Amino acid sequence: MRRITPLLALLALGTAGAQKVSLTFLHGFTGPDRPVMEGLIKKFNDTHPKIEVRAQAQPWATTWQQLPALVASGRAPDVAVINEDQITGFIARGAVSPLTPAELSGAGISKSKFFGPLFATADYKGQSYGVPISSVAYVMFYNKDLMKKVGLDPAKPPRTRAEFLRAAQLCTVDKAGKNSTQAGFDSKNLNTWGVSLYNNWVGSRAAYAAILQNGGALTDKNQNAAFNSPQAVSAVQFLVDLVQKQHVARPNSTEEAELAAFSQGKVCMFPSGQWYLDRFETQKMNFGVTFLPRVGGSVRDAAWGGSSHLTLLKQRPGYSADKRRAALEFVAWLSQPAQNLSWTATGSLPTQAAVASNPQFAKAPISGIFDRLGSVYATSGYPWVGQVMGPFDAAWEAAYLGKKTVTQALNDGVSEANKQIEQARKNFQ
Amino acid sequence: MTDHAPQPARHAARRGDAPRAGAAARAEPYLYLLPHALLFFVFTVYPVGYGLYIGMHRWDLLSSVQSFVGLEFFRNLFVPGTPQFDFFWRTLLNTALFTVVSVPLLVAAALGLALLLQRPIFGRTFFRAVFFLPGVLTVSVMGILWRWMFDNQIGLVNAAREALTGAPPIPWLSTEGLAWVPIVVGTVWWTVGFNMTLYLAALSNVPASLYEAAALDGATPGQQFRHITWPLLAPQTLFVFITTALASFQLFGQSLVITAGGPNRSTQSVIQYITEEGFTNNQISSAAAMGFVFGLMMLIFTAAQFGLMARDVKGTS
Repeated sequence: MRRITPLLALLALGTAGAQKVSLTFLHGFTGPDRPVMEGLIKKFNDTHPKIEVRAQAQPWATTWQQLPALVASGRAPDVAVINEDQITGFIARGAVSPLTPAELSGAGISKSKFFGPLFATADYKGQSYGVPISSVAYVMFYNKDLMKKVGLDPAKPPRTRAEFLRAAQLCTVDKAGKNSTQAGFDSKNLNTWGVSLYNNWVGSRAAYAAILQNGGALTDKNQNAAFNSPQAVSAVQFLVDLVQKQHVARPNSTEEAELAAFSQGKVCMFPSGQWYLDRFETQKMNFGVTFLPRVGGSVRDAAWGGSSHLTLLKQRPGYSADKRRAALEFVAWLSQPAQNLSWTATGSLPTQAAVASNPQFAKAPISGIFDRLGSVYATSGYPWVGQVMGPFDAAWEAAYLGKKTVTQALNDGVSEANKQIEQARKNFQ
Repeated sequence: MTDHAPQPARHAARRGDAPRAGAAARAEPYLYLLPHALLFFVFTVYPVGYGLYIGMHRWDLLSSVQSFVGLEFFRNLFVPGTPQFDFFWRTLLNTALFTVVSVPLLVAAALGLALLLQRPIFGRTFFRAVFFLPGVLTVSVMGILWRWMFDNQIGLVNAAREALTGAPPIPWLSTEGLAWVPIVVGTVWWTVGFNMTLYLAALSNVPASLYEAAALDGATPGQQFRHITWPLLAPQTLFVFITTALASFQLFGQSLVITAGGPNRSTQSVIQYITEEGFTNNQISSAAAMGFVFGLMMLIFTAAQFGLMARDVKGTS
């Protein structure tokens, strides 16, 4: 640092602002989102003559494997995008540099303008480490025609557990035309189903939301797995009962089967990732999108979400202060409402209320969830997301398939997760 | 090569040629070996050694200290109660089960197809291509295809079964045991063509005169196969058996895509578990230790098989 500062001062004097700061930017938007990101970077470079951002896109998994080596060798990119399931791990291992309140406000980044839980995804032990630029969420698609047919108002999708259950019951109709609340209903021969549940990790995000809605959490304050709390058991039990007691969801189903059933108009409500939006729009279905109803309990609204965060990594000693300033300027610019609005073209959800209220969305089906985007929760905040989510997904699978009771499945999952956490903890000592 | 190569060098030294030339001659064979040796050290010996080093440390590139833990991660694999003990052996058993079931199928089906397609039937080349082609698909394409075929609700297999017999659908993908069916069937469909090609090549080397002589002696086709084809194909069968068994032990993509290792980890392969431990759980050292132990097992297995093959080839030549 001491050797570089006079040099920088000289440069600053001699070239009087003509000197460009060059930034490297590593991100994983390699699909159809890549041209959108490239367009944004070009726009930044065109409007910021003193900074040049050079971006590199590569698959996320490659980045997760390379980042430790890049940081350890002092060759980390100036800005990198890290996703919600990885970020706390990298923070806890010291790979990410904290963004001080002074830096954030200096760059014009205001935490309060973003959706709270989304921004907090990259927080750890009271400090901020990233700014969200991209977000996906678990939502509930519903078939408007089917709802109308059974006497429900498609303009008012269910919000509470009671409304949801009623909608699911009315929608579950057997071949003779009787719904699941009527006498003589034949649950073995069904024409349409109420709601989709399924056994993979996407399916288990419904259970995640239900637990949060009931005031539960996946981990406790010591970051140990705790998804077998009474709140969690009761929330997951409600979902499993939809299959086993209410017969409004199919047993033994898969995501593909439910997706096909919803596409063919055989199921009323299909909870899944918002990324299916495009598919249903292309099919010209008459569908709506709503926030996941409070199926788990009435404590709060909640749904699972995934997100990508702009981060500044730990750099070698003597890293140029100009670069850090320029990097912050880039982060601030890329997360601004105008850029975030462009970014929603990739299918991402708005990261802040100012974007969600843009008239562009007024008629879009997805705007049905915008009033509750502030209740989207990522799985982050503890460094061992893999150790918690793996056993949690397995527990959901066992409970949904009826292989174990809900209590047994969740207890087994917690005990497996905590054994793994106990070992992972040693890495952080 | 190494047995014979040094000999001229020894002769030269005995005949008392210039010592310089002797040294050069002695070095010569090693120079030929050097390029491969270099690659072998850089890409095999060094990574294996480094893996061992990682397995004996609590290794994290980002940590300032990589503390030495000795055999802790290896010991985990042999101490009941640790997740590593439970899952490593369980997934190893899963993989072994897959190998035991799929290898005989892959060998028998390949041989059967080769015997059929070796005959001068109409459209022979076309059918050879048909059976070989699936092998060019990536594992993800193959996996998705067979996941769809065996889907619990919308799968073609269940639909056909219902149409033919009226029986209710079978939940293939979510029933322990049954979940292996799409993986094994898919793998056979996917890879049988390669072994078939090996057998076709071997069959074309069996002299036709043997069959003619046997036919003259009144041997039935069954007897011809039993006493001519099968014994002459023995070295090929062993080769196919070993390469297929090794490939089966490396099961990864098929179960990952078709069942994601479920239900209840019953189809998770050992490589899939090692990947999970390393990259999902971020336990690189533990994964390195497992990889090392698994590699060692494969080495012993291969050595045993090579021993068998060498004995057999000697016996038939």
